[in-house]
Amino acid sequence: MTDIDITSQTMDGMGPHGTKVGLLRVLGPAHVWALGVGIVLVGEYMGWNFSVGKGGAFAALIACWFAGILYSCVAMIDSEVTSTVASAGGQYTQAKHIIGPLMAFNVGLYLVFAYTMLEAANAITAGYLFSVVASMTGHEAELDQRPFIILVITFLAWLNYRGVLATLTFNLVITAIAFIAIITLFLSTSGVLGGGIMEHAALFEGHELPYGWIGVLAAMHFGLWYYLGIEGTTQAAEEVRSPARSLPFGTLAGIMTLLIAATLTWFMCSGVLPWEYLGDGVSGSVAPLFDTARLSGSTALVWLLGFGTLFATLASANGCINDASRAWFAMGRDKYLPGWFGAVHPKYRTPYRSIVFLVPIALIFALGAPLDQVITFSILSGLLGYTFMPLNIILFRRKWPLDTIKRGYEHPFHPIPAFTLLGICGVTFFAVFLGYGTQLVAMIGFYIIVSLWFHFWRYRFVNRGAQFTMPWPKPKGY
Amino acid sequence: MAHYIPPKQGKASQLFDVVVLVVLTVGSLFVPLWLNLAGAAKTVASPVENPTWEALGQNAAQAAKYEALGFTPETAHDLILARFDYSFSVGALLVMILVIVLYYFLILRFSESEYREVISEKFGK
Amino acid sequence: MDLWSYLEYAAWGLSALFGLHILVDWLRTDSTYSEDVLTSSREGELEAMAEEHKVH
Repeated sequence: MTDIDITSQTMDGMGPHGTKVGLLRVLGPAHVWALGVGIVLVGEYMGWNFSVGKGGAFAALIACWFAGILYSCVAMIDSEVTSTVASAGGQYTQAKHIIGPLMAFNVGLYLVFAYTMLEAANAITAGYLFSVVASMTGHEAELDQRPFIILVITFLAWLNYRGVLATLTFNLVITAIAFIAIITLFLSTSGVLGGGIMEHAALFEGHELPYGWIGVLAAMHFGLWYYLGIEGTTQAAEEVRSPARSLPFGTLAGIMTLLIAATLTWFMCSGVLPWEYLGDGVSGSVAPLFDTARLSGSTALVWLLGFGTLFATLASANGCINDASRAWFAMGRDKYLPGWFGAVHPKYRTPYRSIVFLVPIALIFALGAPLDQVITFSILSGLLGYTFMPLNIILFRRKWPLDTIKRGYEHPFHPIPAFTLLGICGVTFFAVFLGYGTQLVAMIGFYIIVSLWFHFWRYRFVNRGAQFTMPWPKPKGY
Repeated sequence: MAHYIPPKQGKASQLFDVVVLVVLTVGSLFVPLWLNLAGAAKTVASPVENPTWEALGQNAAQAAKYEALGFTPETAHDLILARFDYSFSVGALLVMILVIVLYYFLILRFSESEYREVISEKFGK
Repeated sequence: MDLWSYLEYAAWGLSALFGLHILVDWLRTDSTYSEDVLTSSREGELEAMAEEHKVH
């Protein structure tokens, strides 16, 4: 036992299961909020407006609120389970304890894909922003976006590598600025302060529901983008000082922030930009809040929202690196993936090998695939994850009823949120089918193949009983 | 029940597993792209010759916004008139539903058998 | 050559710098510590130390 030195803080051999180097517990509820909202807020700055293109402005608002219901259910369910299963890996660890190893492996991959693709989408957007700023400041030639895309990913990976406290404190600051920018834009364009520039009635005239009601269903696909990633707060569980309290608090505060930001964003952009322009995120409005600011005629607002957009993409990519690497790390630690990934940096106390490994993966997607494809893959992985959650909570309540284990938070009205969530997921699958059916089938084909690979090959390296680490009683019915 | 002792995995085998996963991942994203099956493209069903804002169905307020954004009726033509096609076949829908249900059935089934093994090793019979 | 052309080079350079720094530290860490120490983290540390799941 030469690795142990009882005078050392980090290698005293006192960890209950022999942990010599573990993740560092330094975060508070504000960091949880910053992680959750930071990942998602970029969805307000870009991407959500594809839902306008799918069904018109009203359809986008309906989708915004239905997706809001979906995510409120997600946040409540997640808060209950995670206040009990507080561990890096989040939903992966929940699935492992509640449903079973293969489900957990799939959930872990959903998480890594949803976040890595989102990270790639953010880097693409950041690169685009630099090119817009370049042409606005008089750069004649086409800006090469690649070095900026690569810089965003390597810089944020470096930050993540060096420690979680600095990473999420950075996120807290830039997320707060991006949120304040949205509020400021609302106050100065809606007529609350000074003259408003909203023209909803005139802009909607003749274009209320351009596709009819099927457009409302189709809009649900990108409606998820307003909130995608809020469930990532659970990944911080092993680094939060008191997870049973901070995680539900940070998550629920996060979803409330987002419901406000999403509705305000819809209100401002649809009141200024015609729907055909707003809804085309490729040749029309790539960054709708920024375009709204441009039409406000105020240079200060243009700069504020420009920085808001950049900060939102950085905060999101940053949170994604954090979450994807935690999920990858947790799977490595359990040997679901090669055990090599389960390493913690002895000085910075981060899952450094997972962080490094995911950098080239993110770069492949950021440099090699178009934005809406990347977004769709991220949304699909997220959607598969949300479909898992109702199954998860129903089985959780059945195997461990309320009086058998203590929960930090109990969500109300069970099982209504679970069934609501399942229903809205079904609608969203249909919406994805309308536009991206091939990708949906390709994605699920991929998950079926890796599931077989896991069940028949990979699972032999996993310890059976030892992977169940929660001090819970035996589940009912086993 | 006897404890299951997993074999130790060597470096080369670990590396091979990672390569398999990466290839599958990248494949699932790029295969639809290569086959040109990806995405929902918008098309202009009935183009307008010599477009004006009125002919494109824009009222005065809407036209003013387009002009503020730097468009003319000609440059905004495709942007305004392009539409998605939401027609689909019931057969394709049924295939999709079948694939999703089959997928969840498969993982829940395998998970359950693996889970029973975990519980019986952890808590005993 | 204008400002943005220099910024392109700067971005390439900084990317390489951050990437290199991660790479060097990674290799150094892997060769300094034994694999047992690096991969010793186990799940469920908190529960075993601080929480007793009893219903009051």
